[in-house]
Amino acid sequence: MNIFKQCKQYFFEDLPFFFSMPAIVWEVIFFCIPIICIVGISFIKNWDVSAFSGITLFHYIKLFQPIYLKIIVRSFLLAIWTSFLCLMFGYPLAYYLACKASQSIRNILLFFLILPLWTNFLTLIYAWYFVLEKHGLINDILLSLGLISAPLVMLHSLFAISIVTFYCYLPFMILPIYVILEKLDRTLVDASQDLGANMRQTFLRIIFPLSIPGVLTGFLLVFVPAFGEFAIPLFIGGDKYMFTGSLIEHYFLIARNSSMGAAVTSLSCLLVLVVTLFLRWSIKKKFSYIEGRK
Amino acid sequence: MVKEYLGRYWLIFFVAAVYLFLYIPIAVLITFSFNSFLYPFQWVSFSTKWYWELWHSSEIWEVTQNSIIVAVSAVILSLLLGLSFVFYSARSRLRFVAPFFYANLAIPEIVLAVGLLSFFNFFSVPLGFTTLIAGHTIIGLGYSIPILQSSFAEIDYSIIESSLDLGATIHQTFFLIIIPMMAPAIIACSLLVFTLSLDDFIIAFFCTGETAQTLSLYILSTIRTGITPTINALSSCMLLLSSLLVVIFCSFGSRVRVL
Repeated sequence: MNIFKQCKQYFFEDLPFFFSMPAIVWEVIFFCIPIICIVGISFIKNWDVSAFSGITLFHYIKLFQPIYLKIIVRSFLLAIWTSFLCLMFGYPLAYYLACKASQSIRNILLFFLILPLWTNFLTLIYAWYFVLEKHGLINDILLSLGLISAPLVMLHSLFAISIVTFYCYLPFMILPIYVILEKLDRTLVDASQDLGANMRQTFLRIIFPLSIPGVLTGFLLVFVPAFGEFAIPLFIGGDKYMFTGSLIEHYFLIARNSSMGAAVTSLSCLLVLVVTLFLRWSIKKKFSYIEGRK
Repeated sequence: MVKEYLGRYWLIFFVAAVYLFLYIPIAVLITFSFNSFLYPFQWVSFSTKWYWELWHSSEIWEVTQNSIIVAVSAVILSLLLGLSFVFYSARSRLRFVAPFFYANLAIPEIVLAVGLLSFFNFFSVPLGFTTLIAGHTIIGLGYSIPILQSSFAEIDYSIIESSLDLGATIHQTFFLIIIPMMAPAIIACSLLVFTLSLDDFIIAFFCTGETAQTLSLYILSTIRTGITPTINALSSCMLLLSSLLVVIFCSFGSRVRVL
């Protein structure tokens, strides 16, 4: 009886440990081990569950052939270009939502901003068929206005891919910037204007630097998934252009060459990580006075 | 005059243009779901026959059921794991593990998907519902733990202390004080995870065999073969569901820090 009581006491003393473990265990099994698996497989000669065939760097060396480099660079450029576009179009919108719109208008606009995020991604891509197709909206309008005589072919082009990617990820850029701008201390803006700065100077030297953390979050929310995108090239690009995502899918599901696929995955992960860390570092260096103010 | 007018209102014009850009494709999609003609780019007349067809398709009901099973399990799992982690780790050193869960969202989803695929292959786990739920729960944890933790941190600790002082056991305190105070965050979080699981197709694409067809996979395979108005009708229905969920989410979300 006494021993039982003691055990019970120990158990309750260690409650935090026992109850916070399931989440950590789940995380380790289904997140850490798979990631380690991917990195491990990329170094194995011929991936087979039953037989181990030695360690090699062959797959990585193969990736530095121009044909693969071209695919990786293309995805990288698409992701950077999309993030840039999203920032250019998203920032003014976030600024309007946070600083100019009245409460009721803001709520309505926010609703319509969150809705695409909660909509099935495939639905958004599918909707663009009706805009870009040979008999779609743009061609219809241009034809009826008499601007063109024959329908333009817009699907299966890089232009179509980049515009759809931009469309799908725009809300991801706007929301984090909005959250930061909304919390911005308005007295700073007033103070800057009292001290004689004009609107442009206030924006460039007060508002924008303070919103940098939001811009960074937004950039990563756009850049990271856009880099690994495979649905948009598949449907809008019609398999004509390979991107990193399509390359990974090709190796894992079609070519059944897991090692090669794992090498592509690890390399792109590394690239994303490097970009993230570089951005954090460079922004910290340039805008260190913001951190100091806190 | 015109210049001054533009200078004052350019931001409003700009915002209107961006919103038009965001919603024109969706509007066209919904419009063509009411088209009576099979060929999807030519407007003939108004009809609801695609919705009728959708309603009577047994395949759609089956995949919807599958999706809901997966989504509900992912919600329950990520809430249970998240809540017990947040509650019990709050006073121990384990709480510093929490930022680690952000990593689930910080890597491209396709990396997680192929990682899970090779992991399951390695241990010869058959692909199906279980593997899909495991993957969705990982994504769900990435959202639920930060949301729940920030909500838990906002609870005044003296309330918990006074409850314990007044003779409530730790479990009574948990169910009678903490859960009700965290209710908005819990509801917002479960809605978020539910939608994510319902809309996800990357993990589903890699981590399910032929056995577990979900709604997103059904849409994916149908779009691949061509355009049919039934998909328009299905998309419109899902859009309606999402907007309903967003309304509920926003009414709770105003009290919860989500991002």
